[in-house]
Amino acid sequence: MIRMFHVHKNYPNKIQALRDINIHIKKGEFVFLIGPTGAGKSTFLKLVYRGIVPTKGQVIVDGINIARLKPGYIPYLRRNIGIVFQDFKLLYDRTVYENISFGLKAIGATNFEIRQQVKKVLNLVGLEHKKKTKPHLLSGGEQQKLCIARAIANEPLILLTDEPTGNLDPSTSWEIMKLLFHINIRGTTIIMASHDKLMIDKAKKRVVRLERGRIIEDTQRGIY
Amino acid sequence: MIFENMGFYFREALLSFRRSALMSMATILSITTILIIVGVFLLISINSSLFLKNLESQLEIVIYLEDNISKAELNNLKDNITSIGGIKEVKFVSKEEAYQRLLKNLGEQKDILSAIEVNPLPASFEIQVKDPKLIEQIANQIAEFKKVEEVEYGQEIAEKLLNFTYIFRRAGMLVLALLVFASILIISNIIKITVYARRNEIEIMSLAGATSWFIKWPFIIEGFLQGFISAILSIIILYNLYFFATNKVHQVIPFLPLVVDNMDLLPIGIAIVLLGSFVGILGSMFSVGKYLDV
Ligand SMILES: Nc1ncnc2c1ncn2[C@@H]1O[C@H](COP(=O)(O)OP(=O)(O)O)[C@@H](O)[C@H]1O
Ligand SMILES: [Mg+2]
Repeated sequence: MIRMFHVHKNYPNKIQALRDINIHIKKGEFVFLIGPTGAGKSTFLKLVYRGIVPTKGQVIVDGINIARLKPGYIPYLRRNIGIVFQDFKLLYDRTVYENISFGLKAIGATNFEIRQQVKKVLNLVGLEHKKKTKPHLLSGGEQQKLCIARAIANEPLILLTDEPTGNLDPSTSWEIMKLLFHINIRGTTIIMASHDKLMIDKAKKRVVRLERGRIIEDTQRGIY
Repeated sequence: MIFENMGFYFREALLSFRRSALMSMATILSITTILIIVGVFLLISINSSLFLKNLESQLEIVIYLEDNISKAELNNLKDNITSIGGIKEVKFVSKEEAYQRLLKNLGEQKDILSAIEVNPLPASFEIQVKDPKLIEQIANQIAEFKKVEEVEYGQEIAEKLLNFTYIFRRAGMLVLALLVFASILIISNIIKITVYARRNEIEIMSLAGATSWFIKWPFIIEGFLQGFISAILSIIILYNLYFFATNKVHQVIPFLPLVVDNMDLLPIGIAIVLLGSFVGILGSMFSVGKYLDV
């Protein structure tokens, strides 16, 4: 599903955020991308959805070489990828329902599809009863669930989540984890950037450890 | 694809108009102000242009004829003059008419003339030309004709006036170009602010996989509406102000030539509408483009 060959990413300020990354993530896998702040986790995720292009090397997502992807085709790549951002990126002047329907409208879904999908994902994350609420009235965990619901609303092949449990207490974090496992079991490939030791050790999933832009460990059923 | 979604684009554009009513109003008021300034300048410039044209059209060539000119020669000369290109009007003033004019001009003092037994004034042609710039050339050409005693066209005044109108027109065009340029910059910056306020939505749509045109359309429509509504508002305000002003001026200087015909003012209205709408459209298109490459 995702392959990287000798990928380097340098930012304009000469920071080498990623160095010689080689990885293969198969369809349906759940992968923790771990490492301290600044290790390059977010940069890794950005490469997958083509928020950035690699300085060197190849990134292949679902058979598509993202560096050679023409700008006109980027939207179609992104329709296969759901993203949960570290900073949420919610629209605070719209309701929970509208936050989800907004993204679906943006890719041309019909009103019927939108109603169906929004209902489905709200049920899945357990926010059905809050659909008319504005996001700022939700707790941190609920906002995170809303982000997840929005990301999976069009049933993407890949779900990227950037530190989704970063600011949550352990029990809420575990709730979020269970939600992600559930989504993973239904066939979605998930990459979760994190440095949440507790959750990672408990989950017993594949762990890819980054340090200063390099992969220094890649273990099935790993721990932090 | 585009037309299928037009309904959606319009709804989104109107929605965002409503959602940020205060912002939209501020935007429209700002653009209206800029367009009014442009409009005032355009009104001043068409009026000065009319004024200059009037001045220029007062330039004429007067040809004094020899006293011994025969009827046939006179007709011949007139034909020769009218056959020169660029002549607007040729008017014959006989010796007798010239005398009557002088009498009229002298008024109370007409007794001076009683000392003179024969009419000393020559007959003349008064000629108006189509293009004042050609006045010298035409005058020189006429001076070559037979039975022409003297040609006069206020050479110095004509030259000075034409120089002045030339510089005045060029300067006006330069100022107009600068003003339009500045207004384009200001309006597109105002639009940029409204787009900036919605950069999050643009980013989210782009990350959700919306095509760039799908994202752009509602903004283009919104930009067009803002520009267009501002243009209409400024035209209404300008129109009322202008007729108030021209009436006042005519009360003070009744014969000052002013452009008051609606048909003559129409181009200014069209220019304002085009300026507002185009800059609205292009401004929003470019601003959205900036936030699109996430
Ligand atoms: N847009 C950017 N411009 C310049 N430097 C950046 C940018 N984004 C990230 N970096 C730098 O790249 C390195 C990796 O950042 P990031 O991928 O965000 O790490 P992590 O998500 O693991 O904390 C850091 O040193 C960070 O400062
Ligand atoms: Mg990060």
